[in-house]
Amino acid sequence: MQSQLATANLLTGALVRLGAIDGEKDLKPMRAWSRDAEFLRLFDSDPARGWTEARLKKDLEAAQGKDEPNPNAFAFLIRALDGDRAIGLADLNINHWAHREAWVAIGLGEREYWGKGYGTEAMRLLLRYAFAELNLARVSLGAFAYNARAQRSYEKVGFVAEGAMRQRLRRDGQWWDMVIMGILREEWQGRR
Amino acid sequence: MHSQLTTTDLFTGVLVRLAALDPERDPATIAPWFSDSEYHRLLDSDPARPQTPKQVKADMEKRAERDDAFPFAIRALEGDKLIGFVSLWAGNRTNAEGWVGIGLGEREYWGKGYGTEAMRLILRYAFHELNLERVSLEAFADNARAIRSYEKAGFRHEGLQREAMRRDGRRQDVVSMGIRREEWEALLVSA
Repeated sequence: MQSQLATANLLTGALVRLGAIDGEKDLKPMRAWSRDAEFLRLFDSDPARGWTEARLKKDLEAAQGKDEPNPNAFAFLIRALDGDRAIGLADLNINHWAHREAWVAIGLGEREYWGKGYGTEAMRLLLRYAFAELNLARVSLGAFAYNARAQRSYEKVGFVAEGAMRQRLRRDGQWWDMVIMGILREEWQGRR
Repeated sequence: MHSQLTTTDLFTGVLVRLAALDPERDPATIAPWFSDSEYHRLLDSDPARPQTPKQVKADMEKRAERDDAFPFAIRALEGDKLIGFVSLWAGNRTNAEGWVGIGLGEREYWGKGYGTEAMRLILRYAFHELNLERVSLEAFADNARAIRSYEKAGFRHEGLQREAMRRDGRRQDVVSMGIRREEWEALLVSA
């Protein structure tokens, strides 16, 4: 006798849901986020610059594919359940399935949702998707040393700091490490 | 302390090696295999039909682009002669399952262990390089030689699609076979 399959909606939590990104409708809020340099620097190590529509469409196509979805790249829009408002992005990328590992990244473009558990819940949903749906064995991420709020959020959902790439980022005349964090399947299961 | 990484040549056995398919040179050898309708019928349930080297090349190039397809040429070590192909499809990623297909176009190599060894090599590739959990295949019930070879390599019978094929006015079953990682690992220990 097999135990029952989880019938919960994998993509929905109490505060947020992970939705598809609509290449037409959803680009407008995303472009607005990219006018916020602090958001860009917390989200990405690339030089902060506004996201053009052409650029966003290209990135989106890389994840969603032209004809069929890219099986190695998953890009979600984080929507606050209250009002179903688009508030951020959650990405998951798999280098090769042989090693069953994904790298994730998450960012909240709408500042009024910072520090209130929205990002933490989105990461929980992303982890559940990685382990329960994609059957991965570990999930990795890189946290920027200057972003303590993000690291606390990752620790809350179970990520462990495993090491650091020293002086991986240079910003405002200073060097910053990138902390490598990871969570193993067993650790995630143990927390449930 | 980690035990040592396997440094054995994954691609080479005693009789054959698994090689890259060369879209420039190999289609000239492979296309004539499809003019042998028995080869085609043992290989595939699609209607047998001849193929030009150009068609074979186009198909080869299409597969080479996919990151979930691992097609290999089977070359006899003696003379490095191209004698067949074996392909692994690992598109069922979340379940870590692969599908395998194999064919020997050069008849003089039938029934002498070349195909069986090529299958053993691709299983090692599937389990030790791609880290798959199981490998599946379909065999035609009338192709007793193939089924024996798959059994030798460790595949088990898992089910039947009754009368899924019709050939020469007669219906035949399609046999589903599979091997799980644990079963394959047990073969390594006993070998």
